[in-house]
Order: sequence, then structure tokens, then C-alpha cells
Amino acid sequence: MNSSWPAEIRAILWKEFAGELRSRTGLVTGGLFCLVTIVTAATALFNEDVNKRGLRDVCCSQIWVIVLFAAVLTLPRTFLAEEEQGTSDLLRLTARPHAVFWGKAIFNLIQTAALALLVAGLFVGLTGLEVRYPAMFLLCLLSGGAAMTGIVTACGAIASRAANRTLLAGAIALPLIIAPCQWGVAGLRSATGAGFPQDGWMAMLGLCAYAALTLLIAPWIYATIWKS
Amino acid sequence: MVAVSNVGKRFGHRWLFRGLTFEVTQGHGLVVLGRNGSGKSTLLKLIASLLPPSEGAVRYDFQSPRVDIGYAALDLALYPQMTVREHLEFCGRVRGCPSRADELLELIGLARADATPSAQLSSGMRARLKLGMALQPRPKLLLLDEPGASLDADGRELVAGICREQLKSGALLVATNDPQERAFATHELELAG
Repeated sequence: MNSSWPAEIRAILWKEFAGELRSRTGLVTGGLFCLVTIVTAATALFNEDVNKRGLRDVCCSQIWVIVLFAAVLTLPRTFLAEEEQGTSDLLRLTARPHAVFWGKAIFNLIQTAALALLVAGLFVGLTGLEVRYPAMFLLCLLSGGAAMTGIVTACGAIASRAANRTLLAGAIALPLIIAPCQWGVAGLRSATGAGFPQDGWMAMLGLCAYAALTLLIAPWIYATIWKS
Repeated sequence: MVAVSNVGKRFGHRWLFRGLTFEVTQGHGLVVLGRNGSGKSTLLKLIASLLPPSEGAVRYDFQSPRVDIGYAALDLALYPQMTVREHLEFCGRVRGCPSRADELLELIGLARADATPSAQLSSGMRARLKLGMALQPRPKLLLLDEPGASLDADGRELVAGICREQLKSGALLVATNDPQERAFATHELELAG
């Protein structure tokens, strides 16, 4: 029997997509939250010129707050749900921990990217926020989403065996996520012309490094918890 | 095949069992007996690598427990939205072995229910699916926890056939209090609890 890592990771990824498409838990939880908060923010900013300097900063941070909370609501569930519904034993019997981690992390990366693009797109559309550097805007969203995914996924994996896992995952993730949020805001500020472009690129570098670091370390921590 | 050496398991301060030492080799059918709460299921989970021992060690002479051990138990949860066939195919893909879905569905008598989500299966059908998943990699060691518990007469006959076949090519470990299931035993281990 020969098992290849890509095939195992693809199998876990397929399971996550199939489960989400059938239950729509993440879609409903995260999607509804995003929609309600964006509409609320857009209503509050109605008739305001959001491209004034001060309001532009507020809008950039608003986008990240919405993405952050939607991520914290939905991402840890990929690991926590296995323990809650008792299917973690089935995974432990058949799969390797690194394959499980990467399958779920890739699913979370795709989910967060879609969420970030949806949030930003709706926000820009409803408020009229001007995007001066679209490529930087897009890359900042994707790299920031990846950084958030790395942290929240790692915390979800770590907290999955704990008694009060949902609360613990969020509690561990939130302080770790402050730095990426600041970089994310800095990146979007530059992309909307409120800051210097080089600040935006530096922020993105920080976000990519954060994402890479968390996603490289987390599988090893998860593998240790897997055995205990 | 598997050597259990001075194994003990505790939960909190309470020891379920201590100092267990035995070996299971090819052709052995070890039946684990004991009253409710004596640790039969826990012992099987230890051997299946689902739980770590609190003391002692479990050693295998095969490379990978996930392809050389088949495990089926009542409390093994299934993915509610996944169909019967999808469970077998998923397990095959993550294990890296052929899913043998058609063959196993015929064997366990779920060919007609292959497109049914597991949440809609009866407890007996779920038990059959778990047997199918346990047999999929043609395991060297088959661990069955109260295999006949949810099954009808046909199902128990199925389990009997599976156990007989397993003893020809591998080893079997069954946790049970059912006298019919004790018939497969070449050895017995009673946990005092």
C-alpha cells in the first residue's frame, strides 16, 4: 500500500468541501455575519465621504475587523467539529496528522480568501471607498487572510482536545492576531492612498512571513497533540 | 504482531487496569472479557493507538497501525453527511489503499444503501459500515469491540465469517461478553475492573 501526501491531503480537503457544501455551517455563520456588519457599517457611513483621510483609515480597519471576527467564528470549527461530533477517532485510525492538518489548513485558506474578497468587495461597493492600488489591495487581503488562517487554524488545532475548546481557540488566537491586523490595516491604507506604497509592501511582507511561520510550525504542534 | 508490555491506563486518579502483558500473533483470536466498566473498550483503543497508555508500551511488528490494524466499535462516530460509499472511498484514499467499495458493500450487505448518508442509517447498518471500513486495508490485526451488539442474526453470521477469515491470515482481538463471540477465542483475557 502506497500512500502519497498529496493524495491524502486532497482526500481531507475533499471531505471538508463536501461537508461544508452539504451543511453550509461556515457559509451561514460567516457569510451572514459579514453581510450584517457590512450593511451596518455602510449605513453608518451613508452620505459621508469615506475617501477623506480619517475615514479612509477607519474603513481599512473596519474591513479587517469584519474579516477577523468572521474568521474566528468559522475557521476553528474545521478542527473543533471533529472532536465535537466524535469523528476524530476515525481520522486517527486512518490518516496521518500532517495530512489532516494541511487538508484542513488549505480548506481554511480558501475559505478565508473568499471571505476577505467578499467583505472587501462589498464594503468598497457599498461605501464607495477608492482603491488607488488594486494589486496591492488584493495581495494585502490575500496575505492577511493567510496570516489569519495560520493563526486561527493553529489555535483551533491546539485547542481541539480541550474541554472548553471553542472559547479557548478564540482566546488563544485573539492576542496573536493583533500584529497581522495592524499590518493588514497598514497595507490597505497604502492601497487606498492613505499611506505610502512602500509601507504597504512592507506590511505584506510581514503578513506573508507570519502566515508562513504559523503554517510551518502548527502541523508539528498538531501532530504532538494528535498522539496525546 | 502486537506485544502489550506492562500496560496500564488511568483516568484521573482511578486506574482502570495495570500491569497487562500479553502478545497476539498470527492465528491468535484473543477475546477480552470483563464486566461493564472493566476497561475492555479502553484496552482495544490503546492497541488501536487511539489512546496512549498511562504506563507500559504497546509494540507492533508492522510498520503502520493505520493500514495494518482494522478497528470497529459501537462508539466510533461516522460523518453524518457522508454516504456509505463515500466513507469507504474516503478511508481508502487517506490510507492509500484501494477502497474496495463495491466488494465491501456486497460483503457487509449495504450495496443498496450505498448512497445513504450515515445519519440516516440504522444502528445495525452503521455497525456493518464500520466493519467494512475496518476490513478495507486487509488488516493484519482486527480489533472488534462488541461486534454483534447492534446486529441481527444475519449480521452476527457476517461477523462470524469475518472472524474465521481473519484468523486464517492475521490476528483477531474481540472485546465482548457475548458467548457466541467467545467461540472465536484461541485465548481469553479477563479484566477484573
